[in-house]
Amino acid sequence: MKLLFSSGAVVMMSSMVLQLFGLAFVASVLHAKHEFSTHLVTSPHVPVVEIGTNFTATCVIVNTVEVTADSLYWNLSESSVVPEKNYIKINESALAVTILISGEESEWLFCSCKKNSPYVSLNKSKFIHGIYLKKAYPPRRVENLSCVAEQDGKLVSGFLNCKWDAVGGQTEDVKTQYTVMVQHESGTYRSTPTLLNKTMVDLGFFPHFMHFDVWVVADNLLGTVESEHLKQDANEFVKTDPPSKVTAFPEELFPNCLLIKWEHPIEDVRIKLTYQIRYCQSGSHTWSYIPLGDTDKVITSFRLQNLQPNSAYVIQMRCRNREGNSGPWSNWSANETKTTPEDRPRSKPDLWQLSGGDHGEEVQIICKDPKHANGRITSFGLILYNKNGPLEQEIIPADQNQNSSESRVTVLKKISLADKQFVRVCVNANNSKGTSPEACLILVRSSEKTTVEKLKVWTQEGQMFVEWKRPNNTAVSEYVVEWARHGKTDWQRENKTTTRTAIKGSLEKFVRYNVSVYVIQSGRVWKLVHKEAYLEQGAPEQGPTINKSYPAYDNAHLVWDEIPLDKRRGFITNYNISYRKENEAPKSIRVAANNTSYTLTELLGNTKYEVWISASTVAGSKNSNPHSFTTLRYAPGTIEGIVVGVSLGFLFFVLMALLLCFLKKDVLKENFWPQIPNPGESTIGNWSPDYPPKEETPKENCVSGVSVLDVGVCEVKLGFEEDKTSLSLKKGKYLSEEHSSGIGGSSCMSSPRQSVSDSDEGPDLADSTASTVQYSSVVASSGYKGQTPSSHSQHSIFSRSESTQPLLDSEEHPDVSLQEGCRQVQPPPRPSLFTGAENQNSMESDDFRLLGVEQHDFCPLREDTELTTGPDSLSADTESGAVSSYMPQLGGYRPQ
Amino acid sequence: MNGHVKNMHFQQLVERGATLLCFLLLVVVDSTKTVAAARNQECSNDLHRTMKLTRLVHKDTGDLIKQYKTSQGEMPELLCKASVSGIPDPNISGLEPSEKIASMYAQLQAFSPHLTRVYEQQTDLQPPKSPLLNLLNMVINQTGMLTRRINNFYHKVFPNLPLPEPAGGSTTLPPPQNVFQQKVYGCVVLTTYKKLLTNMSKNMRTLRSKVCRKAPASEFNLF
Repeated sequence: MKLLFSSGAVVMMSSMVLQLFGLAFVASVLHAKHEFSTHLVTSPHVPVVEIGTNFTATCVIVNTVEVTADSLYWNLSESSVVPEKNYIKINESALAVTILISGEESEWLFCSCKKNSPYVSLNKSKFIHGIYLKKAYPPRRVENLSCVAEQDGKLVSGFLNCKWDAVGGQTEDVKTQYTVMVQHESGTYRSTPTLLNKTMVDLGFFPHFMHFDVWVVADNLLGTVESEHLKQDANEFVKTDPPSKVTAFPEELFPNCLLIKWEHPIEDVRIKLTYQIRYCQSGSHTWSYIPLGDTDKVITSFRLQNLQPNSAYVIQMRCRNREGNSGPWSNWSANETKTTPEDRPRSKPDLWQLSGGDHGEEVQIICKDPKHANGRITSFGLILYNKNGPLEQEIIPADQNQNSSESRVTVLKKISLADKQFVRVCVNANNSKGTSPEACLILVRSSEKTTVEKLKVWTQEGQMFVEWKRPNNTAVSEYVVEWARHGKTDWQRENKTTTRTAIKGSLEKFVRYNVSVYVIQSGRVWKLVHKEAYLEQGAPEQGPTINKSYPAYDNAHLVWDEIPLDKRRGFITNYNISYRKENEAPKSIRVAANNTSYTLTELLGNTKYEVWISASTVAGSKNSNPHSFTTLRYAPGTIEGIVVGVSLGFLFFVLMALLLCFLKKDVLKENFWPQIPNPGESTIGNWSPDYPPKEETPKENCVSGVSVLDVGVCEVKLGFEEDKTSLSLKKGKYLSEEHSSGIGGSSCMSSPRQSVSDSDEGPDLADSTASTVQYSSVVASSGYKGQTPSSHSQHSIFSRSESTQPLLDSEEHPDVSLQEGCRQVQPPPRPSLFTGAENQNSMESDDFRLLGVEQHDFCPLREDTELTTGPDSLSADTESGAVSSYMPQLGGYRPQ
Repeated sequence: MNGHVKNMHFQQLVERGATLLCFLLLVVVDSTKTVAAARNQECSNDLHRTMKLTRLVHKDTGDLIKQYKTSQGEMPELLCKASVSGIPDPNISGLEPSEKIASMYAQLQAFSPHLTRVYEQQTDLQPPKSPLLNLLNMVINQTGMLTRRINNFYHKVFPNLPLPEPAGGSTTLPPPQNVFQQKVYGCVVLTTYKKLLTNMSKNMRTLRSKVCRKAPASEFNLF
């Protein structure tokens, strides 16, 4: 304890002594120039301070008693005052401070006075003094020093290039510089100091076989430090050029070998080299390296072995100092590519079959070149066997347009199994050097299928994997995994223990493959399961095509085509039908992927819709082109309903009208066909102006109750029948002439000439009074019995028709018309024609009304001769009529 | 305790001490062997590198002679075999390895001024960037390295034997010569120097089994 105490006291005392000595030194130095100096003096003024260390400075008051140490303070760069806890008051005129050097930028440490006396204020510049703190990191030894002397022509360059990793920081004001030192028996060489982490040392001539000692000196204002020394033979720093003239030579006798020859890049006397050889098959980037032990001799040739015949190999070499197997490797030499000689095929061709036909009876034999074809396969030998022995043998030339390779598929033959139970197919491959072993396959026409269950296909990291379950109770020789796309089939074989594999062929993205697994049992191919799969799915390349739309009133049926298989780029998961009216947001409907039609419902009639369908896969979707349709104006059946309704309504109306007519026929009859008094019942019927009542013989043939007028009626009737015919002939004339019949002479006693005076035929007709038409109804108010106006004119009252109906032709030409009419028309026998009003024909009444002729007017008179010369057909009636009811007005009618 | 027991204890103590002493002796012997092996390995490596350097200088001297002959124009081959006074003897003297190594060192030292003189003469005769000058410079540089390496090797192998100074004192250089004499002189110096290097190589091969014992055979499988 005593010893420790004493040592601590010694340290404290020594530090105090040093401080006092420093102060005394500063004071003495500054005292000499106090006239020009300030009243504050700081110390020490070191060139650099180390970052991360404590720095102690002292401020001394000189040549003034104005201020004391209590009035002093320290600040850094005039901005931050150093806390007083860092101050150490040495005495009344000296104040020390200790600060931690931090930050990389250099700065000032000022000692100032905080007293505000007039003197201090006036001499402010004398009460401030500072120390410039130039900061630096201490140099640290560099790491990972490496030096290389590169080959220059036939010699090694005398410049040794070195590089290293700098350690530690540097500040802007104080940089660390590096110098590479090289020492060997002939002397020491040094590089030009550099601030970088690489440089070169000029050695003059490269000192082969000398022992080098290389290190790096890092130095700055804070000191110097050396790196670890590299102590190696000079040749271990040499990086030569790669071996020159590297050449490979194929040797016909050794199809598995290539002989490589090269030259030393530098004379062996300067540096002995070891070589490294690497090679790979052309196109592959997986290098195989020859063990270094095989090439560490003084050799300039090497034979690569165990190569594939007829394969191109790329060879590279490099070298380095052989002594100690250390030193930098040269760069790799340029590629030397050579192909090994051909050899006979060493493995079987990969034989396979493609089934075709409805029941698999058509089989196509295909095969790939042997895995170890060892040359260009020129042909395949095919032999077919059945149970009786060889069927046929055939040499099939290989497709020379394709390069011979393991992936080349050659179609050998198509076999029909329709008439064969089984066929055994054996194939060998030939190249220029020989024949391969034979591969056989047994093709069975039909058999029970062994099923590989639960086939699972998935993709992972750009590869397609297949997993299946081993079939039960089946001795499997091997499996064949087949994958097929449109027009292209490939396969690979897996051993019997495999139940999961990756497809090794090159699969394309967005292409649908049909992956199948077959079982091979003792050469026989058994069926399988298959599954469709994509290596990678993408959005469809094109959308579905809307084929047709069938719009109705409130729905529309859409039919679209599936996307072509090569455009689908994935499994369609669903369709999405979007439709919209004009200027409205679209609506969407999701439809399952197995549909190719859909009926949109709840549409508005007579509305134009735009519709499009997007097909989706797991990777995206693609829209079809928009399709437009317009819904119908009417719903189906609307028009039919209207037509049926209207028809039914009309029918109902008609029926109702008929019913009404039927029920109200009396009213209708009364209104439309009013009851006309029967002239027969008229008292006028008893009027007979010329004939006495004794001539009542015809009365028997008339209806009872009709006396004299019966004759007239009968005559009228007959005349009417005749007039009808003549009326039809002259009707138009009468209608056009619109002659009033006049009343003059219309009476049987009046002259008819006056009523038809404007007729063209008047004069002719006027000659005969017999043909004068009796057009007026003459109603005698008192028993008219004859036309004897001479005797009874003053007693008779004539009631005349006021009809303006023109005269009928028959009436105008009674002589002609009556004759013709009586000849041509045979009125049907109507024995009771005038027996009652109900027997009157309505049509006849209409015609009469149309003619303005009273039905019961007078008939034209007929001569007896005329009546007798009438048509035979009429003779019966007319004779009977003439006999019974017709009474010629021989005596009763006279011209007036 | 009686004296018999005391004697037994003493006897056991002696036996243990003897065993310990034997063990220590074995350790010392083994370490000595290890040190010797390490020293021999280092010797072999040094000698190996020296031999390689000698061979390199020999090769470069041969190239130099070819270049020299090419550079001097038409010069009969016999002139290079002429006897020129003052040129060091290319033979290695001495019987012991140390003497042989010392002789090699002395001869190399003796040739160095002559080579420098030839360089000076050819500097006047050849263009500045003549490959001959470059080769000469390189051989002179390599000769200096070889000389220092042999010196170091000698002191490593024979640390207690001082390296004798050349018997004839400092090397005597020829007086000023005409161009022809310079050509002949240079060729003779280079040819003789090559002979020296040949002799050195031969002698070094004999030294390997004498100076560096138990050196790995592979290390000397150089020629």
